[in-house]
Order: sequence, then structure tokens, then C-alpha cells
Amino acid sequence: MVERISAILKKNEKILNSKDECGIVFYENKNLILHQVSAWPDSLVSVGEKVSSELNLEMYPQPCKAVQSTDVAMLRIEPLKWWVLGSTINTMPIEKGSTLDISHSRTHIKITGDKTKIFLNRFLPIDFREHSFPVNTVASTTFHHVSVTIWRSKNYYEIFIPRAFASSLWELMLESASQFGYEIK
Amino acid sequence: MTAKRLNKGGQIDRSKKLNFYWDNKNFQGYQNDTLASALLANNQTIIGRSFKYHRPRGIMSAGVEESGALVTIGKGKYRDPNVRATSQELYEGITAYGQNAFPNVRYDLGFINSMFSSFLSAGFYYKTFMGIPPFEWGRGTKIWMFYEYFIRKAAGMGSASRKPDPDKYEHAHDFCDVLVVGSGPAGIESALEAAQNDLDVILVEQDFQLGGDLLNQEGFIEKELIEKLHQAGVKVMLRTTAFGLYDNSVAGLLERVEDNYEESFKETPRQRFWTIRSKQTILATGAIERHIAFGNNDVPGIMTANAAKSYLNRFAVLPGKNVIISTNNDSVYDTAIALLKSGADVQVIDSRSEIDKHISKIFLQNGGTFQLNSAPFKAKGARHINKVQLASLKDNTWSVQGKENCDLLLLSGGWSPVLHLLSHRKIKAEWNNENACFLPGKHDEPITVVGSAAGVWDNNNCIESGKAGGLKVSKLLGKKNQNFSFPVPGGWKKALKPIYEIKCKNQKTKSFIDFQHDVTTSDIRLAHQEGFISVEHLKRYTTLGMANDQGKIGNIIGIALMAELLNKKIQEVGTTTFRPPYTPISIGSLAGRNVGDHFRPLRKSPLHDWNLNQGAVMIEAGLWQRPWYFPKEKETISEAYVREAETTRKSVGICDVTSLGKIFIQGPDATELLNRIYTNPFAKLPIGKARYGIMLRDDGLVMDDGTSWRLSENDYFMTTSTTQAAKVMAWLEELLQIRWSDLKVHLTSVSEQWCGISVAGPKSRETISTCLENPEIIDNENLPFMGVVETKLITNIPCRIARISFSGEMAFEIYVPSEFGEPMMEIIWKKAKSLNGCLYGLEALGALRIEKGHVTGAELDGRVTIDDAGLGKMASTKKSYIGSAMRKRGVLNDNNREKLVGIFPKDKNTTFDAGAIICELENIKGYGIGRITSVTHSPELGHWIGLGFVSGGYEKWKNKTTIASDPIRNKNVEVEIVSPHMIDPEGGRMHG
Repeated sequence: MVERISAILKKNEKILNSKDECGIVFYENKNLILHQVSAWPDSLVSVGEKVSSELNLEMYPQPCKAVQSTDVAMLRIEPLKWWVLGSTINTMPIEKGSTLDISHSRTHIKITGDKTKIFLNRFLPIDFREHSFPVNTVASTTFHHVSVTIWRSKNYYEIFIPRAFASSLWELMLESASQFGYEIK
Repeated sequence: MTAKRLNKGGQIDRSKKLNFYWDNKNFQGYQNDTLASALLANNQTIIGRSFKYHRPRGIMSAGVEESGALVTIGKGKYRDPNVRATSQELYEGITAYGQNAFPNVRYDLGFINSMFSSFLSAGFYYKTFMGIPPFEWGRGTKIWMFYEYFIRKAAGMGSASRKPDPDKYEHAHDFCDVLVVGSGPAGIESALEAAQNDLDVILVEQDFQLGGDLLNQEGFIEKELIEKLHQAGVKVMLRTTAFGLYDNSVAGLLERVEDNYEESFKETPRQRFWTIRSKQTILATGAIERHIAFGNNDVPGIMTANAAKSYLNRFAVLPGKNVIISTNNDSVYDTAIALLKSGADVQVIDSRSEIDKHISKIFLQNGGTFQLNSAPFKAKGARHINKVQLASLKDNTWSVQGKENCDLLLLSGGWSPVLHLLSHRKIKAEWNNENACFLPGKHDEPITVVGSAAGVWDNNNCIESGKAGGLKVSKLLGKKNQNFSFPVPGGWKKALKPIYEIKCKNQKTKSFIDFQHDVTTSDIRLAHQEGFISVEHLKRYTTLGMANDQGKIGNIIGIALMAELLNKKIQEVGTTTFRPPYTPISIGSLAGRNVGDHFRPLRKSPLHDWNLNQGAVMIEAGLWQRPWYFPKEKETISEAYVREAETTRKSVGICDVTSLGKIFIQGPDATELLNRIYTNPFAKLPIGKARYGIMLRDDGLVMDDGTSWRLSENDYFMTTSTTQAAKVMAWLEELLQIRWSDLKVHLTSVSEQWCGISVAGPKSRETISTCLENPEIIDNENLPFMGVVETKLITNIPCRIARISFSGEMAFEIYVPSEFGEPMMEIIWKKAKSLNGCLYGLEALGALRIEKGHVTGAELDGRVTIDDAGLGKMASTKKSYIGSAMRKRGVLNDNNREKLVGIFPKDKNTTFDAGAIICELENIKGYGIGRITSVTHSPELGHWIGLGFVSGGYEKWKNKTTIASDPIRNKNVEVEIVSPHMIDPEGGRMHG
């Protein structure tokens, strides 16, 4: 298979701010594997259990939450929908629900660094304080008027941007991140 | 005035000297000076000129309420007008200029305006230049248009740079339990109390130093306070103004990140617009000292008493040597004593009949003198004050008294709590007679007002009030259940005596109320005389309180005067509503990063860069950037698109169609959903086939068109028009969630997942087949018109292909996962190029579809029925669907409705314009008989053609000459109405 072409023209670089600090580190997941699992109201529990079991996860996540293992994660992005990150998923009988490969639909950027929360709040109206947004919280929100999904994983804030908007939002991200200093890996 | 810098004291950092430029002259100040304090220290007295009369104005305050010292900061593209010198932080190299004056504020030719002041009273522009009846009835506007230029040129504030704003701005969000606005004694205490009770506290301060009124007190050490707040965990935001309070405890803040530097750093914004969401808000916004209206009360050298205290104690500037202080309350005596100790001669003229004995004793001990029952009647001095004529009060009547020499007149007409933010929440202020000010009214908002903003004047009481505020919010937020009580408003040792205007019988004076807009007491009287008795009307007629100080100094005086004229109490007159922003904020900060290319979110196809590399000129289509045309060397757009359309018809053309909306529809009821939303039947659409469909709105008019591909028993891939994608998605979700919640269907927008191209033209099949692993899969037998296959390109890229044509040629739409878009294009374009094919853009796409008579957003504009669009045959009579009932309304079936037609010019060498009105030959007027929606040059037919709508349609107007009338371009062209299917009406080409 040919190589996938990222939506963002990314090069590894480190730009320090005027105080020689680097407060933000960006990573792009260049080979995003993302599948959507949808259930019906009467099959929600059984589909959740089936998928989490298939992924060897302890449980399926509740709304606005995620469950994560070393390689895969399951994010509850709508009342009847999950995203499975990092793994394909078996199809299921239509009376139970449906699956859909949306791996090319999003640009997946992982963000870390001691200025990450402040940086994200330059764009996102989300309360990132610990008690309000602990690890494995998921939210749908807007980033420069664009609907995005954000997940706080164990080590990163992970943002999923609709691919067509990614290039434009990436420019804004770097422009704003320059005040904190940033590195792209 | 003989102001000078003192050798010691103040909050200024004497180790950091700063150079600054005032009207091109170099001066020096210190770190922690404001521009005003530095100008005062350099004995600069005339800082501004007034709005209408160009009267000289000096520094009147030491804060955001300033009405006199308005200046322009910066030069060239950095020019920023109407900056209050009193709140502008001094920085190295700052350049400031006087404004609204020629040649400068010290010698201004515009002063001649003051000689015509009787013609420039309240509402003068309504009266003077609107035409003199009956001679100029109906021509007033014209006369105004003539004079307006001169009036606007003579009046006004500074002028902003005409160049694009070079600075950057950004938006930011933050969250907290408690937002405390104001860092005076009460605000500090509230913040500390709340933070110590384990609450998340943000403290905002508009000044560049922390402390509020504490800064004006001797011995205050800011550093200690900062440390204390830091230890308590309070987040402090300096140089940040809470300019508005909104629903659900949302506050708007403006942080001046770089207003204290000459030019912006590249990486940080000049200003930051914050949206803060808190659970509770504590307003410790303080109070503003009021002026008093008397003759020439705007002469430089007159300021509030508290301003003098600030210049003396905070900035170590003695603002005058020979000082008269006029007051009606106790607050000035501290200032008077501090001035005496600094070497000034001070006389207090108190309008009250007695003052507190303890206060008078200390004051006299320090060498001051005072007069009771006295007030200033008229200030003397053309360029700055040198004398005050006094008035004395007897039997409630003021009479003219003697004159006193002075170089500084300080005023304290009472205090007005800053209640602007409460007003934003529609909380009514209530007049308090005892303290002669408006106080916060009752409310149920999560807002607590503390300190002098709540009418508490004593410093210790303010601290107590702040602590009570902190305890109150702690209790409300479930952190600490300790009893608290707020001090009652007030705190003067001897009661304040309300005075607003000093007026003596048979004496005329020019007494200003609103200094920025030159509103005088006479203007208020005139407005009353002319029937403007509502306080809101008064404001708009006289412009009282409408300048950038928003009535912070003058409003109360104006309201009091109106109450007197109406023989009412002040509480009956009420106050105007203050609206955000509390102080002016820049337009740039509102825009944030939504500027330039990022004015709107920018949406790019996966082929965006590839298209650009092929020379595409881009155009916006909704939020998308789409290729408009691909010019070869020196080609114009017309030449390029005609070539592209021609090549496509003769050989093969490739167009990026990624922007089409794409929705994946899954579920056992997916077919049923499609059958209900499309006018034509979908129940029997076979797997592997696509169908063109029309969606109607509930009212029976066309909403959108598109195709739906059946990929399996329960899976459909729907395409929509580019600009209607989001609307269709939301519409379908609404139907499923509200009307048809029993249907088991999931919708997912996959517009971002798939990259799509249209390959059109007689050689399209040849182009694609060589790029497929299995070329035969797109043979006519395997993939007939409207057939769908899922297959792979030779590079193992999975793809979906449908035999769909928008151009009227044999054509295929190919979709691959987005990140394989460029690799797909590399192989397909290589083959197309070898067949002399081309890339084509939106302009050629338009030409091709107009020739064919295919409709798009230009035609389906929300007013059109399916019959109007010539697609009535697609409306099923055997099933019910959205809009099926309402489309049968009589008005939608009138034979004279405008119907889709093709349009040719009679003279094939002429052209006509989209947007033109179609009229009968001898009746060119009004709405005509129809309209032209799209126009192009047809390469196939060799002349201009158009699509449009004409009453009664083609059959009614065929073989008749009509006129395409374009009143905007003053152009009438003879046209003939033809069938909309202008080429290949039988569809032989696209069916292959």
C-alpha cells in the first residue's frame, strides 16, 4: 500500500519562545486507525461489552469517558457511539449495531508539555482543571468554530480534527504555541 | 499649575528612568509611572482639547474615568487614538500626541468654535442644518450632507490609523470558583478569604499594579501583597479589565498583554480577550469621585481630590503648590494633610455647615485652613487655573463671594460606586439619599458586591466587607459555614451634603457635566425645555454619558439636574443602563485570530496542495477552497475554462469533487429513511446502484439534491451539494431524533473520510480502467450508468466508483480514503495527460452543467419547487415523503410560476449577465417575467448561454424575443427562451 499523506505539512522542529522555554510538544499520529461502533438503544450494553471484550478492555466507557489499554482505546463520543482507536473491529449483525472505518476522517494530534492546558484554553472553552477533566475524559467541542473531539489520555491531550480543517487549525495552533515555545515530533 | 516630582516616596522605580515623547518633545519618567503622572511631573498642563468647543483640557483624574487627558499613542500603523493618559502605563520610548487640535493642543485654531457655542448646543445638528421651513422643506438632508463633513472634521476625537492593524490578538478561556474584580482593600480580602477556604480564585485588576486604592496610601508595599496572594493560591491577572458580565456567570475580560511595549513581540498577542466562567463573582470595583458643575470647571488644573492623592502618594508628584479643595464630604481631608506635609498650601472649602471636630483639629494642626458653607462658583484662567471665585451658601441659596488665588483646584462632589457590571446583568441600581449615590439593588445573580462599590467608605469597613464577601461565597459553594455580616453603606463622620451644581442668581456660567462631549448644565436645561424628560432620551439628545468614559464622572450630575428640573427625586428619574464594555476595548481583540486567511475556518481538500502544484487558482465554495481554473501560460480565466470544458467534452477532464457532502447511512431502516426523504422511490434500489434524488423541505420547496449509492443491504453512501452538506446532515439527524425515533438508522458524516474526483469525457473510461487492478470492472456491462462498484487501484488503494455525470458526458466519480488522494491523482492524471486530457475547475464545471441544464445552488435557492426545476417527474405519486403534501398547494402549482429555462442571446455575439431580470420586449420594468441564475460561454455552442426561470416556462415563451434587463449595469439584451437541455437532450453521451 502507498504511504498515507498527512493533512498537515509537518516537520520536526523545536521553536523556543523568547524566554528559551518549550512549553508544548506536538505529536501527530500519522497512521491513525479509527473505527466507529454504533449500537441501538436496546443493544447498547451488549455491543459495549462485546467490543470491550474484543479489545481486551476491562469495560466499555460511559458517555464522555474513555477506557484505555497499552495499544488501544475506546472513546464514548455519542450516547450510542464509540470510537475504537488503534485497532480494527469485527463487523456485527445489523440488529446489534454497525461499524465504520473513519481512519482518514480525522487528523490526530497528541499534545503534552507543562503549558498544554493553558494552550488548549486559547481555543477550547473546556474546563481542564483536574477535578473537571481527569484522565480518560472525552469531550466534543469547537476549535476555531470547527467541531473537534478531545480526549485526555494517560500521557497526552489528544485532539481529533476533521481532516479538511486540520491544515488551517494547525497553522493557528503553531502561531499560538509560539508564545510558550513548542516542539513537533 | 506648578507640578513637580518629589525627591522621595511613591510606587515608582527611580532606578529605571524611561524616555518618552509628548508631541515630539523628549521627557523622562520612571517605571510604574502612568503617562499622565509623567506628564504632570514634567509640568505639562494642557493635554487635550474638547470635543466641540476645542477648550483646553488637563488631567482630571487618575483612572479610567478620565475625560480630559485623552491622547493618541504610537505612530504610523501603530497609531491608537483616545487613550486615557491616566491609565496608560509609561514605557521606554512611548510616543504620545495631543489630538483634535491644530497645530497642537497648546495652541489650537479650533478654539474659534467656542465663540459659536450658542449655535452648538444640545441637538444642534437636528435643528441648524436640517432645512429652514418652509423654504427648505424636503431639502434638509442635502444641506446636512454639505455641512456634515465640516462638522465632523471640526469635532471629534483622535483618528485611528488607516493601515491594517499590525498587532495580533487572541481569545482565551479560563474557569474558576470565584472571580474577584478589583484589587483594592475589599477585593484583596475577598480573594484571600475565598482562596484560604480552598476555592479556585482569579483576581483581576485593570491597573498594571496591584492594590487599587492601597496604592494611594503611604507605606503600601505591592510586593508583599503579591507574595501573600501567591501563597494563598490566588491567580492574579494584572492589566486586565473585566469589561462585561454575561449569562451563567460568564465574564468578558481584556488583558493588555503588550500595551506596555513600543511594538509587539512576534510570539505574543498585543491583547487577549478572556472568557471566564466562574461559579461566583465578587465585585470590588470601587467608587469614582465626582466633579461638581460650576463655571469653567474644565480649566486645566482642576482634578478630583483623590487623583491628587494618587499623584502624590503613588507617583510622588506634587500636582500643585497653592491648592484649594472643594468638598461636600470627609474624604478629602487625608489628601489635604498629605499635600500640606509635602509643602503645599491648602485651603479646603467645604459646602457643609460643619465638619467633624477630630478631622478639623488634625487638619488645622498641619497648617491647613478651611471655609464652611462654600464652594467654587467660577474658575479663572485661560490656559490653566489661577483663581477661583467662590460662592457661599445661605438659606439654601448660593451667592457670589470673593476670589482666591490657586494653581490647583481639587474637587470632591461625592462618590459613585462602580456598578457598571451589575447593570450588564440588568440589576437595577437604587438611589441612596444619605450617601447621595446609586447602590446595588436586590438581585438573585451569583454576584456579591463589596467595599466602596457597595457604598462602604471607611477603609477598615471595606476590608470587613471584603472578608464577608469571601465568607459568603465560601458558604454558597459549600466550603466554610461561618457567619458573616456586611458593613452598612456609609461611614462619613459628618454626613455628606449633596451638591451637583453651583449656580448663583443672575450669573451665567459655562458649567460642564460631561467633559468629553462638552455637555453643559445649559444643555440639560435646554433638553428639558424641549420635552426630553426621560433619562434615556436625555442621554441620546444631549449625548450625556455617551463618550468613551460612558458617564463615569458626569452622569449623576446630569440626572440630579434633570430631577431638579422635573421636580422629582433622583430615584424617580433613575439612571441609564450601562452596557458592556466598561472601558473601551479594541475591535482587534474581539476578532482575535479570526482574521486574514483565518477569518473563517478554512477547509482544504486532500488534493489542495496537489492542485496548487498543477497551477490551480483557488476560489471559496462555502468554507472550502476549490480549484477555480487551471490556467496555462498567460491564459485568462475565460480562456482557461473554455479550454477545460472543450477538452472534457472531446477527451477527458478531471475535477476535484471532494467538497461534496458525504453521509454514510447505516441500519435496517436506512432504505425506509431514504424513501421518506427523497421525492422519488428508493425502496427498490438494487445493491450496486446509485440514484439521483431530490429532497424537499416540509413546505414542499426543494431543499437539496444529490445521489445515494446502495453499497449493501443496509449501507448507503449519500452525496449532497457542497454548501448544503451540514444542513442536510442536521436535517436528517433531526428527523431521526425527533420525528422518526423508531427508525434504526445511524448517520455519520464521512465528508472528511473520502477524497473524490470526477473523471468526465469520452475517454474517461479509458483513463480509469488502466489505473485499476481489474479494468473490466468498469465496462459498460459491469458498470452501466448509475452503477456503483468497490474495487482497488493498481497501487492497492481501495476505491469506490460510480457512473454519475454532472457534465453530461460519460463520467465516473471515484472516491478513495482521503490520505490516498494524492497517490490516486498521480496515477490517474498521468493517464489522462497521455490522452490529452485536462484538469478542470469550478468555472468549467459550471459551463458544462449549464450546457446540460443541470441545476445547482444558484437555481435551487429555496424558492423553487421540484416542478419549477423541471424535475417534476421525479416526484412520486405513490408514496408519502417530506414535502409531498405541501407541494400540492395551489400556489405552488400555478401555471404561471417561474420555471427552469435555457437562455440564448438573439445576437450570438453578445452576452448577458447572471442576475438580470427577464422582461417582455415592450414591457421592461419591475420584476419582469423571470430571472437569470447562471451564465456561461458555451464552447459546444460557440456563444453565451444561460439558465434561469421564466413565468410559464419554455413552452409559453418559445420563439418570442424577450429582454435580459440588467438595471445595475444599465444593459438590456434581447434574448430567446430555449429548452434548459441545451446539449445532448437525449443523454446519449452520458449513457455511453
